[in-house]
Amino acid sequence: MNHIERDMAALSDAEADRLPTYPIACGVNRKLLGDNVTYSMWCKDPKIFANGFIAGQKYFDFDFAIGLMDLSVMAGDLGAHVRMDDENTPFVDKHIVHSLEDYEKLEVPDIRKGRSHVIVEGTRLFNEKLKNEVICAAFLEGPLLALTQTAGAERVFMDMFTDPSAVHAGLRTMVEFDRQMVEAFSETGVAGLVWDYLWGNYSCLGDEEYNEFEGCDKYAGMLNKLTADSGMALCIHNCADLPHLDTQVKKFKPVIYSMAYYPLIPDSPSAGEVIDKGYADNCLIAGNIDPQMFIRAKTEKISKVTSDLCQEVKTALCRRGLKSRYCIASGCEVPPDRATKLDNIKAVVDTVKRDGVLEGC
Amino acid sequence: MKVSQIAGFLGSGKTTAVMKIAEGLVNKGCRIAIVVNDVGEISIDSKFIEANGLEAREISGGCICCQIAGSFAETLAKLHEGFNPDIVIVEPSGVAIPWGLKRAAEYSEAKADMVIEHAPVITLVDAVRIDMLMRAVRRLVETQIREADICFVNKVDVATPEAITKTEELIRSINPRAEIAHPSSITGEGLEIVYDAIMNRTSPRYDDAVEEEMLRKEYAKGV
Repeated sequence: MNHIERDMAALSDAEADRLPTYPIACGVNRKLLGDNVTYSMWCKDPKIFANGFIAGQKYFDFDFAIGLMDLSVMAGDLGAHVRMDDENTPFVDKHIVHSLEDYEKLEVPDIRKGRSHVIVEGTRLFNEKLKNEVICAAFLEGPLLALTQTAGAERVFMDMFTDPSAVHAGLRTMVEFDRQMVEAFSETGVAGLVWDYLWGNYSCLGDEEYNEFEGCDKYAGMLNKLTADSGMALCIHNCADLPHLDTQVKKFKPVIYSMAYYPLIPDSPSAGEVIDKGYADNCLIAGNIDPQMFIRAKTEKISKVTSDLCQEVKTALCRRGLKSRYCIASGCEVPPDRATKLDNIKAVVDTVKRDGVLEGC
Repeated sequence: MKVSQIAGFLGSGKTTAVMKIAEGLVNKGCRIAIVVNDVGEISIDSKFIEANGLEAREISGGCICCQIAGSFAETLAKLHEGFNPDIVIVEPSGVAIPWGLKRAAEYSEAKADMVIEHAPVITLVDAVRIDMLMRAVRRLVETQIREADICFVNKVDVATPEAITKTEELIRSINPRAEIAHPSSITGEGLEIVYDAIMNRTSPRYDDAVEEEMLRKEYAKGV
């Protein structure tokens, strides 16, 4: 099977030669473009952004490509200060909401400029090059995530309680920002759009608050529908320790759901448990190698972890009567750090090629 | 290098506690660095830093441990190489998860020649605002209490005895194994317990705890 055949089989739970794999290697791919290519160069130039994905595909031989940049793209374009690190993930270090009135003052930026433009144009470029080889998807921060990045998570969480109307005012701006980004991504030709709905996490929000502020009907619900109506498959990424699986998988109905696993957090669901509980029945689940292993683990260790995960997944799929609906991935982005070992990314892909082979139950 | 995290939600008195604890540990001869979150909001007193020979760094971000982990690890590695503190006191965001921060701290071992130890995780619980916090951010407060080694019932000098008792009962109901202390960050009274815990005790490493947990699960399957 080629990559797209394998992806399509896994998406529809048809028979496949092996499990698909996609360690979420994005910014780290720039290392394949030369030592002089820094993170800030990669995330500010659409051609370099795209070339990273193209080089990553050639070198690692992934089954998907997802255009994740980082979680400060929208906040930065809204005016928050982003601390740009040449060799690491940038982050917001100065928020722009300091009072309840500031939520009202947020304005959607011109998405033809800034890093919004870079991610849209860069996604278009890598999709053009890779679309006949793998399924490509764009990546976008959900409204609540974008607002917490812009305003500061602690502030937003308190304001949700003390003055929810102010938070909703901010969210409405984020939804409009997202709506424009969905339209722009739909014109790039990508097959899917991955939403990061990070705060669907029982360590942070219960069902009621999550439903209200992610806007499971009015905000996220509307954007999910817009995604599908715009011709892109709905995908969700959430690296939470205790994800809201019933809402994000069963209610939102994504075709792909990418998730992490935190063995020390009681009730954090393992791959086998997620499959056993039926979340892979209608959705390709992707997970859950610890991203930090790509930096810290020896190659033998990450190969062993990958092999064990393949076995766990294959056993659980058989137990559930499923054929192929799991993608071996990292639970979150492979750190785009100078210390990340490219050999470890390759080791995951090579191990899945060997130990992810599906031979029937 | 030892990492000591002082967790707690916004307004729980973390910054005051971090400064007081840092000052006390410096007076005991420790070389201390502090890493604080959301500096723009809290403004570190630079004179205090200078007067106490501390080294300070900033790290922002929320509970997105995989997003900020790299920068945090880089910060620790640079502190080790440039200042070589005995203890780094970290004041994480109120939405950070203590295990996630431990994991991120150990990540710095890939960037510098050092081994990270963790001091017992201290979570500050605001006895004055506990009712409001439990209504507003219950999940986050519960998570931080659940993952603490020591819960530091804060603002006891202004809280009512009933509020203090209620706070203690809440802590015990969420995390029966946590030690409970009532030091005052304002007067410094009772902080000896905290100094002793940070200097002389450790909390499990993330890596070791994961290995143990995976082995336990493997064993349970085999049985």
